[in-house]
Amino acid sequence: MKIALCQIRALIKLSLLELYRRKDIVVVLILGAVLLLPLSFVTPFGMSGAGIYFNEIALVMVWLFSILIALGVSSRIFPHEFEKRTIYALLAKPASRGVILIGRYLGALAAAVSALCIFYAAYILLCGFKQGVWFSEVLLQAFVLHVGLMAVIVAIGIAGSLIMTSSANVTLTLLVVFGMLFFGGRLPALAADQSAFAKIILYTANVLAPHVEFFDLRQRLVHEWSAVSWLVCAAAMAYAALYSAAALFLADFFLRRKRF
Amino acid sequence: MAVIQLESVVKSFGSVKAVNDLSFEVDGGEITGFLGANGAGKTTSIKMLLGFIRPDSGRVLVKGRDPRLAATRRLIGFMPETAHYYPYLKVHELLNLYGGLCGMSKAEIAARSGELIVKVGLTGAENRQLKTFSKGMLQRVGIAQALLHDPAVYILDEPFTGLDPLARIQFRDLLLAEKKAGKTILFSSHELSEAELICDKVVILKEGRAVWSGTTADVAGDGTQNLERVFLRMLGVAQEEEAL
Repeated sequence: MKIALCQIRALIKLSLLELYRRKDIVVVLILGAVLLLPLSFVTPFGMSGAGIYFNEIALVMVWLFSILIALGVSSRIFPHEFEKRTIYALLAKPASRGVILIGRYLGALAAAVSALCIFYAAYILLCGFKQGVWFSEVLLQAFVLHVGLMAVIVAIGIAGSLIMTSSANVTLTLLVVFGMLFFGGRLPALAADQSAFAKIILYTANVLAPHVEFFDLRQRLVHEWSAVSWLVCAAAMAYAALYSAAALFLADFFLRRKRF
Repeated sequence: MAVIQLESVVKSFGSVKAVNDLSFEVDGGEITGFLGANGAGKTTSIKMLLGFIRPDSGRVLVKGRDPRLAATRRLIGFMPETAHYYPYLKVHELLNLYGGLCGMSKAEIAARSGELIVKVGLTGAENRQLKTFSKGMLQRVGIAQALLHDPAVYILDEPFTGLDPLARIQFRDLLLAEKKAGKTILFSSHELSEAELICDKVVILKEGRAVWSGTTADVAGDGTQNLERVFLRMLGVAQEEEAL
């Protein structure tokens, strides 16, 4: 167990160094600046004090950028290992494929969460200076749930990268994530009026696709609604953990069957 | 006692038999050269020895254990054919990564990597990213990572490729020193002269089978003058040349 932890730690460090050395962090900082600078000067629709719009636009950007970074980092890990043949030296070490997978997953998650911290810092600065709101319980909950969302997306990105090309993986995952973000909560209601066949498809999608909307507290932040119960947050995080574990289980299955 | 054993190993990829009923053993404390033309099955055999792929039939054992087990791979130091490492890492960071994967403590990695950087001639380059390294320097990095956790068995795939004459001599001396320390070494190579210089034993592969194996003393006693002649004869090239 101690050795497995040591191996996982080494792999996490590799992902963070990758984020820093491959200048990915520069992209993150640029996106953070994109988020911060224009919004801090703009007055939407000529209305001063229209904080709601700042919030909405800023949060959409935080969501978009963080999803793109999480997917970008996770979907290229194993394809790069195979393409650059670094996988051989890695597999020759006394680490099981399961440990390598978990280490690479946690590394990608750490990289995605690092980027998320920068985006949230930019968002907090924006809200602080524009609206005088520096902290709220909803903000903390939104961040925690966003970390859960990152965990799910990184796991899907890694599992997909073991069976699809990078472009197919990114496109399909984005379609599923944004599709579920917009329609995830309405799938059962939508299924109710459909034919038997469409019902089966929609109910299956409802069970199998990630319910990204569980992690979305943007409306509460924008409209300054009260915080949700922490039990609800815990349930959403448990869902994230279970969904990530299932995706990683699949990824492990694919990796073990991979021919090198 | 045999440290590496391949017993009637067969491995096919579709209709192609990459390894066909291959059997040989490598004894402890020996350097064995694993020779053959391109496509003879050397790399496939090495992949099975490292547990990357499993044989269709037959047995592959390292120190009597299945190499697909992580605990077995702890005994093996592997140097891949082409030196592909993470280009954005520095030498000491790469060694930290691989040391961590071998379960070594930070202190152990620091001590061992400091020693190896000097041994493989990378002093002064340890703080440069690998993307700035030449092919020969990357081969040296490959040697260092293979030796890092002080394994009992070395499996080296074309280790002399890309090394300049000085580095070859240093690496040869390094392998001989490791052999003296009781390590078992198996390396695949096209470099017959290198194999002749340092090997105790040679296995020649053709179309996935071992067509000749013996000691370097057997080479001399074979009536032919050197390993090159044996190699060409076993591959059927010498007869063709004579016929021409």
